[in-house]
Amino acid sequence: MNANSHLADRKYIIGGFFILVAVIYIARLFYIQIIDDKYKLDAQNNAFRYITEYPVRGYIYDRNGKLLVYNEASYDLMVTPKETKGCDTLALCEVLQITKEDYLKRIKKACQAPNSPRKQSVFEKQMSAQTYAALQEKLYRFNGFFVQKRTVRKYPKPIAAHLLGYVGEVTKEKAEKDPYYREGDYIGISGMERSYEEALRGKKGVQIAITDVHNKVVGRYMDGKYDTLAIPGKPLFCTIDMTLQEYGEQLLRGKKGAVVAIEPSSGEILCLVSSPTYDPNLLVGGKERARNFTKLYYDSLNLPLFNRALQAMYPPGSIFKLIDALIAQRDGLIFRNTSFPCHGGYPPMGGKPKCHSHGGVDLPGSIATSCNSYYSYVFRAIVDQKKYPKFKDGYNYWRETVQSFGPGTNLGTDLPYDKPGNVPSVKYYNKVFGENGWRSNTIVSLGIGQAELTLVPLQMANVVATIANRGYYYTPHCVKGVGYEKKQDQKFKEKKYVSVQGETYYTNVIDGMQRCLDGGTATASKIKDIVMCGKTGTAQNPHGKDHAVFLAFAPRENPKIAIACIIENAGFGGTWSAPIVSLMVEKYLKGKITRPEMEKRMLEADLINGKNLLHEKH
Amino acid sequence: MKLFAYLKGDKVIWAIMMLLSLLSVLVVYSAVVTLAHKFKQGNSEYYLIKHFVIIVLGFGIAYVFHKIKYTVFAKVAQIGFILSVPLLLYTLLRGVSAGEASRWIEIPGIGLTFQSSDIAKIMLLLYVARVLTVKQDALQEFKGVVKLLLVPIGLICALILPANFSTAALLFVNCLCLMFIGRVRMKFMLYIIGACVGFAILLTVVVLNFPDAIPRGRTWKARIENFISGDTKTNYQSDQAKIAVANGGVIGKGPGNSTQRAFLPQASSDFIYAIIIEEYGLLTGVIMLFLYMVLLFRGIRILRDTDKTFGGFIAIGLSFSLVFQALINMAVAVNLFPVTGQPLPLVSMGGTSIWFTMAAMGIILSVSKSNEDTTAEKLETI
Repeated sequence: MNANSHLADRKYIIGGFFILVAVIYIARLFYIQIIDDKYKLDAQNNAFRYITEYPVRGYIYDRNGKLLVYNEASYDLMVTPKETKGCDTLALCEVLQITKEDYLKRIKKACQAPNSPRKQSVFEKQMSAQTYAALQEKLYRFNGFFVQKRTVRKYPKPIAAHLLGYVGEVTKEKAEKDPYYREGDYIGISGMERSYEEALRGKKGVQIAITDVHNKVVGRYMDGKYDTLAIPGKPLFCTIDMTLQEYGEQLLRGKKGAVVAIEPSSGEILCLVSSPTYDPNLLVGGKERARNFTKLYYDSLNLPLFNRALQAMYPPGSIFKLIDALIAQRDGLIFRNTSFPCHGGYPPMGGKPKCHSHGGVDLPGSIATSCNSYYSYVFRAIVDQKKYPKFKDGYNYWRETVQSFGPGTNLGTDLPYDKPGNVPSVKYYNKVFGENGWRSNTIVSLGIGQAELTLVPLQMANVVATIANRGYYYTPHCVKGVGYEKKQDQKFKEKKYVSVQGETYYTNVIDGMQRCLDGGTATASKIKDIVMCGKTGTAQNPHGKDHAVFLAFAPRENPKIAIACIIENAGFGGTWSAPIVSLMVEKYLKGKITRPEMEKRMLEADLINGKNLLHEKH
Repeated sequence: MKLFAYLKGDKVIWAIMMLLSLLSVLVVYSAVVTLAHKFKQGNSEYYLIKHFVIIVLGFGIAYVFHKIKYTVFAKVAQIGFILSVPLLLYTLLRGVSAGEASRWIEIPGIGLTFQSSDIAKIMLLLYVARVLTVKQDALQEFKGVVKLLLVPIGLICALILPANFSTAALLFVNCLCLMFIGRVRMKFMLYIIGACVGFAILLTVVVLNFPDAIPRGRTWKARIENFISGDTKTNYQSDQAKIAVANGGVIGKGPGNSTQRAFLPQASSDFIYAIIIEEYGLLTGVIMLFLYMVLLFRGIRILRDTDKTFGGFIAIGLSFSLVFQALINMAVAVNLFPVTGQPLPLVSMGGTSIWFTMAAMGIILSVSKSNEDTTAEKLETI
C-alpha cells in the first residue's frame, strides 16, 4: 500500500493539472463570448460587404491655372432583382425610355452568373442628369433599385485629347496584377491620365457593412472602426498653355501633322498638338465611350487616336542641317565664312542630292538658303575627318553626337508611349550594304536629314530648344506640379548638355536661322517686332508629297518659345509649316494676331480633303 | 434502470458515454448539412443514420470489451504492440509513395478504413502499463527506463509523427504522464522532459527554416506562423470557430440553428465543439468539459481503488488519452492551440475511430468491473 499511496500523490498532480486546463478554457470561452466583441455578431450576420467609395479624380489645370479637366457626377442605376417585388415597372420603363422586353432582359441578365438575384448589379450605366432627376422623384416606387454615384471626366474645351489621354475600365490582367484595382474600376489609359494615374486617382475608401444571410445590409462592422474614407486624387498643374494649344489645334484642322512648343528655359511643353484629333468628351462614360472609341479606332484614314507628336517618326529634312553645322564647327571642319561649291546639286556625286544652285554661301547663308550641297560636304567632312582613320568610327562619332541632341533616344518625358525615332547604326548599314559595301558618300543624304533618319515632332522641338539655349535642354515635360504642394520630379530640373558646346558655334547657326526669315526660305513668315530664328525643312518620304517642316524659336535673346511643326504631304516647309509656327509664336508672345489674312488662309486650308486655298489662288 | 443491470463496471462512466453519444447524434445531424449538400444532395439523414448505427455498434464493442477480463489485454498488448510497428510502417510508406500524409489503411475485402495510429495508441498504452507493473525493478535504473520504455514509445511516436504530428505528440505526452504515475523516478522524468523540450525546439527551428526537409513541414510551418501572428485572414478556421462561440451565448441558438456550420470546414469533427457551443450554449460547453473531467477522475478513482496496479495503469492511461485529446480539440476550437486534426472523442463524427474509442472505454470499464468483483468478494469474505 506504500507504493499506492505514493502513486496517489502523483495522480492528483495530473488531475490538478487537468482541472487547471479546464479552468483556462472556461476563462477563454468567457473571454470570447463576453469580453471580446470582435466576434460578436447577431445570429444572422456573418457576411461582410465591402462597399467601395470612389475618390474624385484629380483636376488638371493649364499653366495659367485655367481648368483643362474636371469631373461630372454620373449616375448608375443599380438593381437587386430579388427585391423588386412591387416595383412600378411601367413607370420605370417610361423614365428610362425602354420597352418592357428590355426591362425583362436586363433583369434576367442581373439574375444570371456572375450576377445573382440577391446581389446588386448595374441596370443602366451613366444616366444623364435629366434622367437621374426624373428618376429620383419616383425612386420610392421602384423597389429594389437604387442609384450609385460615380464621376466621369469632363473637358470645358474639346482640346488636348492626346495630351490629356483618357480614362477607361481597367483590364482584367491589370486588375489581377495590381491589388489596388478591381474589375470595373477606372484607370488612366493614355496621356497624362496614364503617367500621373497614381496621383490623379487618389485612394479608394471602403465601408464594411454587415449583411444578413439575404445580403441585406443590417449595420456597420464595429461601428465603422475599420472603414476608410476615400482620399481625393491630387490635381495636376501642367505646363500647357490652353490658348496656344487650342489655337494650334485650330490651325492644324484639316491637316495631318503635329506642333510641339517648348519653353526653352524650363523644358516645359507649351502645347502638343497632333492632328487630326478628337473631342476628349467623346471618350468618357460607359456605352458612349465604347461606341466612340470603336469609331475613332477604325478611322484608318485619319488615325485620330494616333499621337503624331510623340509617335510619328518623320524624316526631319533640312532642319537637321543645324545639327551638322554645329558638329562640324566644333571639329574645326568649317567656320563662319566656309563655303562649298553648289551647282544645283552636290558636285562630287554628280549633282545629287539636288539643290537650288546657291554657290559660295557662307555658313549662315547655307542655313538661310538651306543648301543641300553644302551639307553633303559637311556631313562627309565629319564622317571622314582625320581624327578617325576608319570612316565607320567617324560615323559612330557623328551618330553619338546627334543622339546627345535627342534623336534616336527616348527623351524621358512624362508622357507615355513616346517613340525614339531612328539614327541608323553601323550594324544596320553593314547588314544593308555589306561589311565593305558602303562609304560616307553612300549615306550622304543623312546629312540633309533624309534616308533612314527619323525624329518624332517632340524631338524636333527639343532640338530647337537646345539651340535656343545654346547647348543644353531640360527634359520636356507637361506637368510642373503634382498636388497642391506642387511636387515635381527632380529630373525635370536638371540641365542636359549636348555634346557640342561653344557660344560662337551656336551664334553662327542662329544667325543663319534669323536670316532664314530675313530673306531666306521662310521670309513670308517674319513677324513684325519679334526676332524669330527658324529653319525650314522639306522632308521627302515614301508616302507621297513632301512633309513640310519648320522649327523656330523666338525671341532671339532670352527665348520664350521653341516650336516645331510638321504638316504631312504639304510640300515646302516655308509654305505651310512656317506660317503656322509664325502665327502661333505671335499669338503666344503678343497675345494677338496682326496678320488676319495669313491666319484665315491657314485656318481654312483643308489639305486632307484637297481644299488648298493657295492652289486655288494661283 | 433495467438497462444498467446488464452493464457492469462504473455506472458513471457508462452514463457519461451515453450522454456524450446522445449529444453527438444531435450535433452531428446539424453539422453535416454542408457535407450532405456536397456529397448527398442535401440528404443529411444519411449521415444521421450512419452515425447512429456506428455509435450503436460502438456501444456493442464497449459492451463486449468490458466483459473480457482485463488481464487478457496484457497478453494482447504484447503481441499487438509488436504488430503495430509494421502496420505503421506500411501506412507511412504507402503515404510516401502517394506523395501525401497517409494515415488510413483499408481492411481488404470489407472496405473499412481505419487509422493505424488508433490501434498503435491503445497497444502502446497497454504495453507501457504492463512494463510499469511487471518490470518495476529494471526501471530503477535509467538504462532500464530507456530500453523498456523510451525506445518503444519513441519508435511508435516516430512512426506516427510524419503523417500526424499532433497524435504523435499527444501519445508521447500521454505515455509520460503514465510513467509519472507509474513510479518512474522523478530524476529520470526530468531528464526525459529536458530532452523533449530540446527536441521540440530543434524541430521548430527546422520546420520554420527548412520546411521542405520534412514531409508536411510546410503545413506545420503555416499553422504555427498563423497561430503566432494572429493574422486574421489566414486564420479563417479559428475566426469562424470564434464567431460560432461568440454567437452561441450562454444558452445557445438552439438545436439545428447553427449558421457557422456553413463556414467551418470539418464542422462535424474537428470543430464540432464550436458548433455545440453555438447551438447549445456556453452552459453545455462547460457541462461537456465537466463530463470529461469526471471521466478523468473516475479513471483516477479506479487506480485508487484497485489493488492490481496493471489494471489501474490501463484505466488511467486510457482515460488520460481520451480526455487529453478532448482538451486539445476544444483548445483548437477556442483558439488556445494551433489548428490540428484531433476529433473530439465520443462526440465527433467518424467511423472506426469511434469504435477504437469505444474499445478503450470498454477496457476501462473492464478494469472497474474487476474492482467491483474484488470488492464484492472481499465483502463476501468479511
